[in-house]
Amino acid sequence: MMQAGDEDAFTALYRRRQGGIYRFVLEMSGSAPLAEDVTQEVFMALIRDNLGFDPARGSLAAYMFGMARHHALRFLKRDKTYVSIPQTWDGSGGGVELAPADDPQSALSRRETIHSVRQAILSLPEHYREAVVLCDLNEMSYEDTASVLGCSVGTVRSRLHRGRALLVQKLGVKVETGNEAVNPSRCLA
Amino acid sequence: MNCKDFENTIHELVSRRLAGTTKQLEALEHAGHCLWCALRLDEETRLTEKLQAFAGALQLQRAPARVEEELLRAFRERNAAESAALLGIGGKRLRQGLRWGLAFAATVAAAWIMIFLWPHFHSGASDHPDRAANRRPPAASEPSRTNLAPVTRAAGPARAALKGATPQAAYAWTLERTALGESASELPADFISLGTCDDYLCMDEATLVRVSLPAEALLAFGLGTGNDYSPEGSVQADVVLGSDGVPFAIRFVD
Repeated sequence: MMQAGDEDAFTALYRRRQGGIYRFVLEMSGSAPLAEDVTQEVFMALIRDNLGFDPARGSLAAYMFGMARHHALRFLKRDKTYVSIPQTWDGSGGGVELAPADDPQSALSRRETIHSVRQAILSLPEHYREAVVLCDLNEMSYEDTASVLGCSVGTVRSRLHRGRALLVQKLGVKVETGNEAVNPSRCLA
Repeated sequence: MNCKDFENTIHELVSRRLAGTTKQLEALEHAGHCLWCALRLDEETRLTEKLQAFAGALQLQRAPARVEEELLRAFRERNAAESAALLGIGGKRLRQGLRWGLAFAATVAAAWIMIFLWPHFHSGASDHPDRAANRRPPAASEPSRTNLAPVTRAAGPARAALKGATPQAAYAWTLERTALGESASELPADFISLGTCDDYLCMDEATLVRVSLPAEALLAFGLGTGNDYSPEGSVQADVVLGSDGVPFAIRFVD
């Protein structure tokens, strides 16, 4: 329908997909302006190229996330400053509104958590960050993530495992037994 | 399930991708009796909770409304451009079609003129001396404007005299005189116009007919005053008949 020039179909597609794409780029780059630019660029490409989407090669969401990733990486490589603008999406007046919290203390705690998670994610190597953002933050399947990243499902799982392991260390969620007596050994055989 | 299998499935376990499966039960059972894997499960669960909190905080994030406006404007412009392009192609094809159609119509019209109207134009144009010269040369037996005597006043009686004529033969205008049965001894006179046709338009479809008339028919044309005239006899005459049977001219054959 969109290919036939149906404006309503295009609007419906945009409203359904733009949030995920915008958030994906925002989570990947930490930059709201870049997320806005990339979102616009992805849909402009759909308009220009008449939606050259092949269902045999994956879902529409994976196709669009793949385009968004491509554009985001291109922008990031061209201008590294996109990543170093933390005030644009930390909820501290940078134009990004976070979901409301019940009380000020929990709001503060939540804000701190968000800030730390954001910093931890942005500090991940790019290929680990992509896997974490797509699989954990956007709840995308391994298969769709593999389609977006252009790699195998095994590679996605591996990157996700390593990325999460790094996040565990960065976010301090690693469980410290504090007791040398408790030294569990694993049965990896 | 051992610790290695548990490690391989821990992400699916904490992200609820294994919900309701036997693999989930096996993993939880393994974590129940393996302290290391239980700690890992705790780590992963806490990490997942943080990530989910982060994702939930960003759940309201959307591209600004101006992006949608820009895109819709671009979408409309592109559609308009495509429509204009299609119209341009259609218009070009229409113009080409019209050109070919006009050429075809002109050809048909020219052919129609050649087939149906040309003979009339041609015969009408024979009034012009040059065109008359280009026309087929009149045979000696053919009536011409010059030898159609203006005897209009005699036409009425002459036609009346022809009523009793018996056709002896009907031949096309282009037949040779010998084909009419004329002998060398025959001395055809000039054709006398009967006043029913003043030009060649009616002559094109004419037929020459040899008839035998009562001798008194000569009187209707002011003839038959000679010494050899005998009212009881008959005379031979060539009558030019139109396509509708109307006699145009007559000549008497001695």
